[in-house]
Amino acid sequence: MQASPVRLRRDDTDVDVVVIGGGVNGVGVARDASQRGLRVALFERNDLAFGASGNSSGMIHGGPRYLTNDPHVTETSCRDSGHIQAIAPHLLFRIPFLAPVERSARSRVMFTLMDAFFEAYDRYQPFKRGKRHARLSADELRQLEPGLAGDLMGGFSMDEWGIDGARLCVANAVDAMERGAKVYVGHTVERVERREDTGAVVAVRYRDRHTGAGGRLRTSVVINATGAWSSITAALGGLPPTASRVRPGKGIHIVYDRRLTSYAIMGQTIDGRQIFMCPWENVTVIGTTDDDFYGDLDGVRANSEEVRYLVQGIARVFPAIRNARAIGTYAGVRPTLHAYGPSEDELSRDHQIIDHAVHGAPGLFSMIGGKLASYRLFSEEMADVLAKHFGIGLRCATHVTSLPGGDATVDPFALAERAGIDAVAARRLVYRHGSRALHVEERMKARPREAVAVCPCEPVTEAEVRYTVRHELARTVDDVSRRTRLGLGACGGMRCAARCGQIVASERGLPPREGMRQAINFLERQALTRVVALGPEQARQEALAIASVRSELGLMGDDDLATAPAWRQIAQSEPGEQSAHSRAQGEVVCPDP
Amino acid sequence: MPRSVIVIGSGVAGTAAAWGARGRGSKVVLVSAGAGASAFAGGAVDDVPWEQRTRAAHALGLEAHATAAKLPGALLEFVGALGVWDVPAARGCYLATMAGRVRPARGRDRALLDLEALGRGGRVLLPRVSRPGWDADALARALGDDPFAKALKLQFEAVDAPVLRFDEERRVTDADLAARHDDPARLAWLGESLRSAVAEGTGVAAVLLGPWLGLGLGRADKLAALVGLPVGEALIGAGSPAGLRFEVARDALFKAGGIEVISRRVRAVGVAGGDASGGTARFAVSLEEKDASLRADAVVLATGGVSGGGVIYTPAEHGAGADLPSGGRVPFALSLTAPVRLGDGRGALEATSSLFGPALDTVAWPTGSRQSLLEAVGVQCTGIRAAHGLFAAGDAIAARPRTVLEAAATGWHAGVEAASTG
Repeated sequence: MQASPVRLRRDDTDVDVVVIGGGVNGVGVARDASQRGLRVALFERNDLAFGASGNSSGMIHGGPRYLTNDPHVTETSCRDSGHIQAIAPHLLFRIPFLAPVERSARSRVMFTLMDAFFEAYDRYQPFKRGKRHARLSADELRQLEPGLAGDLMGGFSMDEWGIDGARLCVANAVDAMERGAKVYVGHTVERVERREDTGAVVAVRYRDRHTGAGGRLRTSVVINATGAWSSITAALGGLPPTASRVRPGKGIHIVYDRRLTSYAIMGQTIDGRQIFMCPWENVTVIGTTDDDFYGDLDGVRANSEEVRYLVQGIARVFPAIRNARAIGTYAGVRPTLHAYGPSEDELSRDHQIIDHAVHGAPGLFSMIGGKLASYRLFSEEMADVLAKHFGIGLRCATHVTSLPGGDATVDPFALAERAGIDAVAARRLVYRHGSRALHVEERMKARPREAVAVCPCEPVTEAEVRYTVRHELARTVDDVSRRTRLGLGACGGMRCAARCGQIVASERGLPPREGMRQAINFLERQALTRVVALGPEQARQEALAIASVRSELGLMGDDDLATAPAWRQIAQSEPGEQSAHSRAQGEVVCPDP
Repeated sequence: MPRSVIVIGSGVAGTAAAWGARGRGSKVVLVSAGAGASAFAGGAVDDVPWEQRTRAAHALGLEAHATAAKLPGALLEFVGALGVWDVPAARGCYLATMAGRVRPARGRDRALLDLEALGRGGRVLLPRVSRPGWDADALARALGDDPFAKALKLQFEAVDAPVLRFDEERRVTDADLAARHDDPARLAWLGESLRSAVAEGTGVAAVLLGPWLGLGLGRADKLAALVGLPVGEALIGAGSPAGLRFEVARDALFKAGGIEVISRRVRAVGVAGGDASGGTARFAVSLEEKDASLRADAVVLATGGVSGGGVIYTPAEHGAGADLPSGGRVPFALSLTAPVRLGDGRGALEATSSLFGPALDTVAWPTGSRQSLLEAVGVQCTGIRAAHGLFAAGDAIAARPRTVLEAAATGWHAGVEAASTG
């Protein structure tokens, strides 16, 4: 890991560019700008991929949905999907879709229209190495997926790619850091300081949300890549919120305990929206809704009405879904381009860069809208603006430079044998980390006991948990879960959350009780996301989990303990403890400025 | 003629009910469909939930825990007859959990290490064992950091001492590993191994292991005798061999007490027809895969709550397929048909005014001292009485504390009442 020696463009600043937001666009532009030799600092209020990037449908699809309204969005998405595939091949997996057509009075016309539609989409498929669509008879459909119901007249196949959005963000952030960028997670920007006369950006004031420590970093350029938070961020720079306006659209997904089908299946909601059920990594995901959102962006959760609306739509084509076991939900808020009037689905998925010089704030830019599938292109466009701003001639190379782990393939079976872990664990490890899985393997070789599985559902080894804390900016059990899917399986973290908390605490040199507190928080939050999709099979597991956590971990937060005078006394009488595992100085990837 | 009592369910509550009714001279038949929450339990024997105990310690000071509430004699007698638990008459105990906490409990499975009994200021050794969930170093650090451990002045230390004999034992389940320690030779080997580890240190008070000390009773005590120090397990929340040990003790109790056990699922408890002139049993209990039904004067429902499988979550939408659900309904049901109502402690459950199911958004996790809906749902009772001659016990009762001693107490009480009420 070496930081390329970069020269600051101006001597009255600490960094050239401050990026606000650790979603895919933020880390994407941080990576691109760092690659072009700019000195970048990125601030993320929560965690990388905390918002829409980590809670998307997990596909870099071209969005045939947008073909009618925004054909160029489809094209750019498909082109960029191809690039993402080239730079991070380990993170992609093929998802073949089936789109059944129900027999009705106008189904013949419908079928022809859809055929033409997919024909049009086929033109973009080569950009992302996708296969052409195929017309299927009702029998062929049922042969491919026997669970399909309804009076079908036929259907189509379509090819898309799945991706783990959180892993994509982490890979970009790690690459940016390795090129010299500083990434501050859990740090919120409180104010963007501007000159009184010219309005130009001079610095950002930030605060570590955990320790409360604040700081100031001088910069001449600030990029607001905060997605749905965009208007709030603009206001921090003294602009009216309308200067960086999005129309936040909440989307939820339901997760089932395993891959229920081999193909993704398209369905329609009661109000005629396209939804899907899709085998994704080792679970099945149903999505998604699109509703205007007015709530707290830091605590977005699905509710049972949204869940029932989606299940109803899927049950029409795949009735067995009602008996399947839902093990969770997740929700995010899209930063769609603003328009007043159209329904959520009609809104453009295009992206746009706002140069706030027009609002009297030179140096402040907002990245608005966009899609996971075209984040790289969006970042490139933003970095082009930066290059022009700083007068550097370097062209974008993010589409030809591999993301961390994407440079070479690793044979999971050989790795399994070498590291003494089972083949499934190795496969999942290689999926998440690509060639960097070898770094995790090194840890396991050096300390064989780290090869023990912490989370048996996913599975995740102790070595990987430690690796994410040390090299991927994970600070809490939640962060580890976002990066590894630890605790998101059928047991809901009942087995692994406490253990993961211990490891995180030991790796970060925190007292074990802090790890325990993180574990309880994680379990509680996960329970709230699971319950809105609760079904009969999950109910008993849920009750067992409550009983188990009650007896082993306790349901009281540590804050409860801290408020009691007797406890405080004990806590004060004990000297602070230093963990044997606190990390060596040189390994700190993100030192305080 | 002695009264006949049918007990449904063979967890802690059902066992206590059968024992109580048999003790009053009734003819007892116990029907069980298999493992429930008691078989999964971790071995902590609580009277009130742990949080409640800890809150009391906040308010009254740490030593408040040392003076535990006295238990009724009949309950202690049942605990003694069962033999798998230790519930000290006048004090509580402290258990180490696999999650790294030191927690108070009223009693414990005898194989669990009681930290309270160690006195103050000793060292507890944790052998390093390469198994998932057992990281002796991290666990020792976490336990040592716990306020209760500090109050007890206990230190926890990871040590190297062989516990596994074969490589494949790194991957077998806790119960499988525990079963291997039922072999006296193996237990002796482990005792030898721990003894040499203990001999190397000074001030060692006890040895803490994972939940691996036998499915039979008394293995931990035997091991302690071999080592010359207390040796015991840490508590694991679910799936502990403690549940299996309870089952072993329970079966022995049934055998000794002449309690007939039928391993079947009960389909329905109905009021039996017949003349009122006397002699006819009040209830008819029909079993799955059996035409004839059993008859009894009284029935005890000890079928458990949602976690035990006695109460089932049945929203209207489940199984509705592509169509609309058939109608609004009560979202929970007893696993069998019986003339009782379900409640959640705030009244009887009603059909939801929704074709799909209840609003779920707020029922997931217990908040403060309030139980979650999934914990609270059970049969509506006055005390233990659900209907005339029909009793409920343990988790089957709505909104009672979900603890072992509560199950035993309500079970015993229900059994006695069933045996005596006319």
